[in-house]
Amino acid sequence: MNPVMNVEEITKTYGKKGEKQYQALKGVSFQVQRGEFVAVMGASGSGKSTLLNILSTLDRPTSGRVEINRKDITQLRKNQMADFRGREIGFIFQEFNLLDNLTARENIALPLTLRGISAKRIDPLVTQIATKLDIMGILDQYPVSISGGQKQRVAAARALVHEPSILLADEPTGALDSNSARELLQTMAKLNQDEHVCVLMVTHDPFSASYADRILFIKDGKISHQIVKGNQTRRFFYRELLDALGTTSD
Amino acid sequence: MLFKLALTGIKSRFKDYFVLFSGLMAASLSFYMFLDLATNPQFLKSNVNLGYHYTSVIFGFGIVLLAIITFIYMIYANRFLLSMRQRDYGMFMMLGARNSRIALLIFLETLIIGIIGTLAGVILGFGVTWLVAKMIVKQLGLTITNFNAIYLPAVLWTFVFFICLFLLAGAWNSHKLAQSPVIKLLNEQQKPISLKKHPVLTAIEAILGLVLLAIGYWAMAAFQKLMLWSIPIALVTIVVGSFFLFDSLLISVIDWLRHRHQILYHRLRPFTLGQLKFRLRDYTRILTCVSILFALALGAITVGINFNTLKEQAKASTYYDGVITTSKVDLHKELSKLHLKKKIDYQYKVVSHQLYVNEQTLAANPPKTQIFYLKNGVQSYRTAKINYESKKGQSSEEFKFLFPEGLVVTSSHVVPAAQFERLKAPIKNVTYLQVHDFDQDYPVLKKIMLKQQRADPSQTDFYTFTKPVVYQLGLNIESGFTFMGIFLGLAFMMMLASMLMFKVLSGAPSDKIRYQMLSKIGARRSLLRRSMYQEIGLLFLLPGLLGVVHVLFGLQFFKSLIPQPYHEIWIPFLIFILLYGGYYLITIKLYDHLVIKS
Repeated sequence: MNPVMNVEEITKTYGKKGEKQYQALKGVSFQVQRGEFVAVMGASGSGKSTLLNILSTLDRPTSGRVEINRKDITQLRKNQMADFRGREIGFIFQEFNLLDNLTARENIALPLTLRGISAKRIDPLVTQIATKLDIMGILDQYPVSISGGQKQRVAAARALVHEPSILLADEPTGALDSNSARELLQTMAKLNQDEHVCVLMVTHDPFSASYADRILFIKDGKISHQIVKGNQTRRFFYRELLDALGTTSD
Repeated sequence: MLFKLALTGIKSRFKDYFVLFSGLMAASLSFYMFLDLATNPQFLKSNVNLGYHYTSVIFGFGIVLLAIITFIYMIYANRFLLSMRQRDYGMFMMLGARNSRIALLIFLETLIIGIIGTLAGVILGFGVTWLVAKMIVKQLGLTITNFNAIYLPAVLWTFVFFICLFLLAGAWNSHKLAQSPVIKLLNEQQKPISLKKHPVLTAIEAILGLVLLAIGYWAMAAFQKLMLWSIPIALVTIVVGSFFLFDSLLISVIDWLRHRHQILYHRLRPFTLGQLKFRLRDYTRILTCVSILFALALGAITVGINFNTLKEQAKASTYYDGVITTSKVDLHKELSKLHLKKKIDYQYKVVSHQLYVNEQTLAANPPKTQIFYLKNGVQSYRTAKINYESKKGQSSEEFKFLFPEGLVVTSSHVVPAAQFERLKAPIKNVTYLQVHDFDQDYPVLKKIMLKQQRADPSQTDFYTFTKPVVYQLGLNIESGFTFMGIFLGLAFMMMLASMLMFKVLSGAPSDKIRYQMLSKIGARRSLLRRSMYQEIGLLFLLPGLLGVVHVLFGLQFFKSLIPQPYHEIWIPFLIFILLYGGYYLITIKLYDHLVIKS
């Protein structure tokens, strides 16, 4: 089976030639299979934000290639990149990134209207995803009047409404209280299991990462190692994860 | 140390300060341009033949209006400055700077920025005033007296007004920042705007807005009844009416559109409409000001340009195109240049303060005159024969004035040729000229009048009623008005366009974040640009449209002054559309640079 995401030997160097250069990524490779929930963990400065920016086509690698759905995204031109993002990728950000001047409903509908989908088809799609994420009651409210947890659910609905190949989540629980965080992670895990939504989540929070099937550890611009949940329960996986963190941080 | 820090803050936000300074400069520049005329009584007295009292009242209202608008503009500029600086000041406070010191710093910064902006604006104002005046005078061939591009009282009053404003703004800023908790200064980005509004209240507001506008328009048309009262009535009702209209009707229309998903769900339209709704709430005041200024500017230019109807009227009010009364000067050269249609000679004699006219010459070419009447309320003239036959004994005054001595003789008589011959006095001639095209021959006709006047100054009074002289007078009055109209129109125009531009650009920092979000979820740049063009385009278009409606009704006010205020109205509209469109293009270019490109 083809992987949804195939990352081959990507490097990223900041700074011009002849000046002092800094290598943020030093050859990162991994694959994400269809229906997989992968977490990328690392401390600040480890290169995880750079990696995420490249995977989401917001930045280009210095070398190496990234394929999403067998398409090499490092070779895309500007408009193609925008279209690709709109079609294949769903985003959830730490700070929600909802548009404050649109209602929740309009925020969710935006990826669909951008792709030119007819108005008739949009309403049922929005209702469908909103029901799954349990936000039907707040669809006509503005972001300013809903809670952080609700905002992140709206953001998740916006990220998933157009059925992207992969959902990229950047510290999605970073701005949430523990209850909201747990609820969001459970929802993401459920969507992953029931709907086979492929998720790549970047986080530094072990609790969040424990919801994934596989965890990649990134350190000093390289993948240092990975752990796989396999058949163990989340609680055991969490313990293994904490152990792994304990050994790597030494 | 703190001052040094404050200065570094300015350096690092050069783009924002550029926007702020250009805004301040545009405000003081247009204010100065207006005052340059308004505070110059010599100019008004010599160029505006309306009675100085009347003009000074109109200018008085003008100053009040401009002051209010500038004040609102300054509130926005000040808010922009404050939002730009509050994080920096919050940081200084966090580092341990004392409140009183910060308050002083903010006060001084506001004042210094204000003074520099005003100074730059006024200096630029000298140049712009000079250039605009020169252009108008040259393009339209006007004659203007007592006009100075650098006029000290105007400079003084501009400074007094702006420094007062900045003292106020400085005090307000230092009070506001010093009172706010540090944490609020550091984190406050955007205050959520309350968006809920009761539908019944909105409906009442919309109706009230329309009613007020109707009253305002009526007050303008009913100038004859209300006299000078019509200005304040119209001013208040139209300003408040426009405000209500923007505040209620437009937002309701946008809300209505947003509930129609068939219309709403198309590319970036949800975003564009969402932006507009937020903007309109925030922009209500500025859009009102802009629509009023738009009307004033367009009105001023229209009235200015239409003053040529005065010239046309001067032309229509006299029948003959020229007259020759003296044989003392040789006019052959000039006469050969004229495109003569008819040349009419009348013979007369003056005997002991009595005027005798040869009936034979009159019968050959019965004299005619123009009679004034009102045609549907518009001043008009028609041609009529001067009836001299029935008044053989004593002729009418009108008839008398056909002859140079008509002003001094006690009475006039029309006599048959034989009797005329017998009168013991030298035969005198008065020759009336009619040409095919007065405008074409006007320079030659004027020369003929001047030559005769120089040769025989005693007849200057007689010439006052001849067409070239009346026409010249109309031209002079018109010059003053045309100049003032176009000059003020351009000043208002600059004010309103910079105000709108400033307001749009000052929203750039928060819009930048929104456009970045859209880009992340896959909106192409071309789509972002189109949304921006539409959004800013509508912000320009809406007050423009309302402004045009204001003008179309407002021109009624000038009906007593200009017979046909709507004459060739497309010319000022075209000039205006071009200038306004230019400002729109500059705005989207700058905005693109600030928001999408970076």
